[in-house]
Amino acid sequence: MSNNKYKILVVEDDRSIAGMIQTVLETGGYQVLVAGRCEQGVLMLRSHMPDLVVLDLGLPDMDGSEFIRIARRDRTVPIIVLSARMEEADKIAALDLGANDYITKPFSTGELLARIRASLRIVHGHQQTSGGTFTLGGLTIEHDRRQVRVDGEPVHLTRTEFNILAFLSRHPGKVMTYAAIVTAIWGGLDDGSVKKLQVNMANIRRKLGCAPGDDRYIVNELGVGYRMSDPQN
Amino acid sequence: MASGKRILWDGLFTVAILTVVFLWNLVLLELFDTKTMTPMIFVLGVFLVSWRTQGYLWGIVASLISVLAVNFAFTYPYWAFDLISPECISSAVVMLIVSTMMGALTTRLKRQEHLKAEAEKERMRGDLLRAVSHDLRTPLTSICGACSAIIDNYDQIPRERQLDLLGDIRADSQWLARMVENLLSVTRVDSDRVRLSKQSTVLEELIDAVLVKFRKHYPSQTVHVVLPDAFVSIPMDPVLIGQVLMNLLENAVFHAHGMEHLWLKVTLDGGKAVFTVEDDGCGIPRDRLPELFSGLLKSDAPADPSRRNMGIGLSVCQTIVKAHGARLEALDRVGGGAVFRFSLSVEDISYVEQ
Repeated sequence: MSNNKYKILVVEDDRSIAGMIQTVLETGGYQVLVAGRCEQGVLMLRSHMPDLVVLDLGLPDMDGSEFIRIARRDRTVPIIVLSARMEEADKIAALDLGANDYITKPFSTGELLARIRASLRIVHGHQQTSGGTFTLGGLTIEHDRRQVRVDGEPVHLTRTEFNILAFLSRHPGKVMTYAAIVTAIWGGLDDGSVKKLQVNMANIRRKLGCAPGDDRYIVNELGVGYRMSDPQN
Repeated sequence: MASGKRILWDGLFTVAILTVVFLWNLVLLELFDTKTMTPMIFVLGVFLVSWRTQGYLWGIVASLISVLAVNFAFTYPYWAFDLISPECISSAVVMLIVSTMMGALTTRLKRQEHLKAEAEKERMRGDLLRAVSHDLRTPLTSICGACSAIIDNYDQIPRERQLDLLGDIRADSQWLARMVENLLSVTRVDSDRVRLSKQSTVLEELIDAVLVKFRKHYPSQTVHVVLPDAFVSIPMDPVLIGQVLMNLLENAVFHAHGMEHLWLKVTLDGGKAVFTVEDDGCGIPRDRLPELFSGLLKSDAPADPSRRNMGIGLSVCQTIVKAHGARLEALDRVGGGAVFRFSLSVEDISYVEQ
């Protein structure tokens, strides 16, 4: 798949970081627009119609979340948020507002490119459909037959466990917040539901043979949610 | 503590103490027919109230109530007030004086303790700052040097050597980034209003996140992990505790010379989860133990990379663990090596249906 047609808007006030990201993305074959301020970013979003936005949350003129809100009103362009490590609450807020993913500063350029590819794929539908089969290393999930195998061996999951795993596998490479998963699986969020999710998740990991520190299949984003590893990265 | 809560607590405490004192005297009077101790027991009550509550108010309230209670129940005429006898007036005066003085004394004492704690904090901050400046200078110097070398001699330095230098720059700056995270977490913990963002954290997920990060930085170092089989959830700031574990593991890599094995263990002991980072390296020299957590580096420590991090890392760990109401301990390991240990209370999750 060629990247050439994709246009990426980078909204970042720090010029050296913006310059670095621009260089990396241009080397990766993307067309890059840079906005140093939120307002300018909103204008460019409307006039240039980028395919994806990389957004720094700490902008001088406007809160980054405001940008997400405005962007979400107009169109469904994928947004990847850049944030500092300590700000889990901001990350969750940004994701709940409709950002597609976040990446923590300082990040490696490989990581950034991987996230961008994943987000673009999800939006542009280069994704296995829900009826198909998901394959990631030794893990296969057959959605319609509700069957999971690790290295060819069938794994017996409960209904809920399967639903969670299947849900994550439909969004590979994208972090899903606890709230998003719980809502998708149980239909609503209440006091014990995140704990219920975590208990189920512990069982899933055990059944898939993932020891702590093994992020081949599922990456646990502490305090935020879970991410299915991306088979295409 | 919020001021409303504080007032409520003080009021309840005063009522409780006075009730106990009153009943005690009543028992003495009814069962043993003695009331020589009555004023003394009330003075004790007033003393306790003035000591444990804030300001003068509650002490004075307690002493007024005490005077009235003694007058009402324990002096002739019984179960009636007599406000003009000299006995009554002098006991009132004594109790008022006692409570006012106690209030003054305890207020002054509390202020002094507060000042002392502030000074101690200030001193620790100073130590930390010194250690930090020392520790940050080294990688910065090498980053600057490597960059200048490449820029100034771009055509002379062979490509591989340039890549080496760039690799060093990346490693050094990654180290700096982690150090800055450490410092940020100290400011987050150390600020006057301690605002830990505590959330119930699944032990397995915490350890998972720490190991993923550790393996990214030290792929060749194996960590033996021992975890309880049960599903354990602990209220904590997961980012900060994760950082403590990361720092402890990293310290072992840097400082436990001759280490062959590195363990990360969590065991359950009653309602506590005991976190242990253990290595079979050279152990901690006796003379370094007292200043281990203070953030101080020995001034004779050579500025080589392997000596970095020790001081700041451990004092950061201690600060974070203390903010969680626990203590980080360093011990000798049986059979050689060092053990770092702290424990946190486990959350009861029996209510979660499977």
